[in-house]
Amino acid sequence: MNVNLKARGNYVSSAILWTYSGFTLFVLAYMTYQAFRSKKELLSNTFGWPDVFNLDGYKKLFAEADFLRYLFNSVWILAATLLVVILLSSMVAYGIGRFRFRFRNGLLVYFLIGLMFPVQLGIVPIFLLIRDMGLMNSQWGVAVVLAAGLSMPVFLLTTFFEKLPADLYESAKIDGAGEWTTFLRVMFPLASPVVFSICIIMSVQIWNQFFVPLILLQSEAKKTVPLMIMKFTNNLMYNIDLAMVGSVMATVPILILFFLFSGRVLEGVASGGVKG
Amino acid sequence: MAWIKKRPYLWFILPGFALYSLFTVYPIFSAFQISLNRWDGIGPKTFVGLGNYAELFGNQELFSQLTGAFRHSGTLFLLNALAVLPAQLYMAYLLYSGIRGHRFFQAMIFAPQFIATPVIVFMGTLIFDGNIGVFNKLLEAVGLGEWTRPWLGLPELGIFIVWIMVAWSGIGVGMIFFLGAMKMIPTEMMEAALLEGASYWRRFFSIVLPQIKTTVLNMLILTYIFAMTMFDFSFILGGVSGGINRSVDVMALFFYRIAFGDNSAVGGSMNVNAMGMGTTIACVMFAVIFVVAVAQVVITYRRKEV
Repeated sequence: MNVNLKARGNYVSSAILWTYSGFTLFVLAYMTYQAFRSKKELLSNTFGWPDVFNLDGYKKLFAEADFLRYLFNSVWILAATLLVVILLSSMVAYGIGRFRFRFRNGLLVYFLIGLMFPVQLGIVPIFLLIRDMGLMNSQWGVAVVLAAGLSMPVFLLTTFFEKLPADLYESAKIDGAGEWTTFLRVMFPLASPVVFSICIIMSVQIWNQFFVPLILLQSEAKKTVPLMIMKFTNNLMYNIDLAMVGSVMATVPILILFFLFSGRVLEGVASGGVKG
Repeated sequence: MAWIKKRPYLWFILPGFALYSLFTVYPIFSAFQISLNRWDGIGPKTFVGLGNYAELFGNQELFSQLTGAFRHSGTLFLLNALAVLPAQLYMAYLLYSGIRGHRFFQAMIFAPQFIATPVIVFMGTLIFDGNIGVFNKLLEAVGLGEWTRPWLGLPELGIFIVWIMVAWSGIGVGMIFFLGAMKMIPTEMMEAALLEGASYWRRFFSIVLPQIKTTVLNMLILTYIFAMTMFDFSFILGGVSGGINRSVDVMALFFYRIAFGDNSAVGGSMNVNAMGMGTTIACVMFAVIFVVAVAQVVITYRRKEV
């Protein structure tokens, strides 16, 4: 864009954005700083000068609180859910976008109405289904429930496949490729930018998902990182040091990753906005 | 077999269709069906027709919890719609016009989205807690010591504290969506307005806002659905009961308390009907969302025809 769209002398707006960003930075830095202090100091001398900085909190988090197990559970659920979502939604979208058949539009609408059904509303029947399937306290249970939220990925991918020129399908056909080969070798790789956006948007949702794991994972051994943090913050007098280091470990590494790739990530998020 | 051979798309659609139908669509209908029964989830079901609905609206304790939770959810929606949404548009417009440092700002403002809710609530504690909170310390430092309060323990502020956390963590998504929509506006349109000498804010109200109207309306409905189904902030801050005097109670938490709470506050009679009454509340929530969503679709559709 060559046009100068700037407002002249927009100092007030600049100041507001600086203050707001500064506040966010401060909260993160403050938490990271406090994570190096002992429980006693945190509670009795919160604002005073620290006597010592130490890594005791981190040692405790990894040794006693078994942080790696919660992390593993979270990563497991994230990976499984993403895999299922990407596989199924691209297949559905390819089916709807590539082929012309009678109930095509109706089917697309059917997949879209899920946007109006947040998982909270159906959780009782979901809970009963998962219980009857014997998937309580299993990461698979959480993964299939989260993966069933196919509306947004199906919508984005269908729009993409619809716009692909028909010649592309035809030439693959002429080369003698079957439907599945065409899909896997030609079409799916073409969709990778869209798949990337979907991965970003879904990852944020799945990683921070609180409600479904809370209900479907009762056993401590299967719980995820957000549930672990709640366990600590529920009793701050006792666990404030663990709450602090746990929060830092659950937040800072991901944010560093985000800041490194923020341009691409935010582009991905923007393209997921529901457009009219 | 020939029938299926002629329709290869079926194989592509079927697996996703099955999973989506089973875990996203079927539960809504099943919830309605369960809501017509008195049921604890394990024992036998007794069909009671609309009895649960009559009890929900007729039982004084339940009804007061319902209206309290609904008022809080509604407050959240209004605050988000009247304060957060304009702020998102404002920030998006600043970023769109390439304010100095826009890359840094958009990353900073979006960042809290990556923080899990328990951590956000914990950060809220670090700031607003009566004893270890930074905010009170700040008040003392600037000589407003008499204004210090145990901010998290004041029932009349409860839902506003929840809202501050919700707003801080979620503001970036809408902003990025709006920014994306603004970038789709044809450049010629902006150039023409600039040549005609339209001022910075004039361009915002006369060109940008009308151009991204659909995105704003979509965001509004998403905000509404979010407010009606928000659960985690209230649960983490106030526990199953919804805080002191249920000051942070919201619709989804009320639903959770009745369906999954260990000891429902209404007394013994509720536990034996946990699933029946729970799904009844879920269906009321669904109706509350559905009516507004349909209205929004109708409004958008009408505007497009004109």
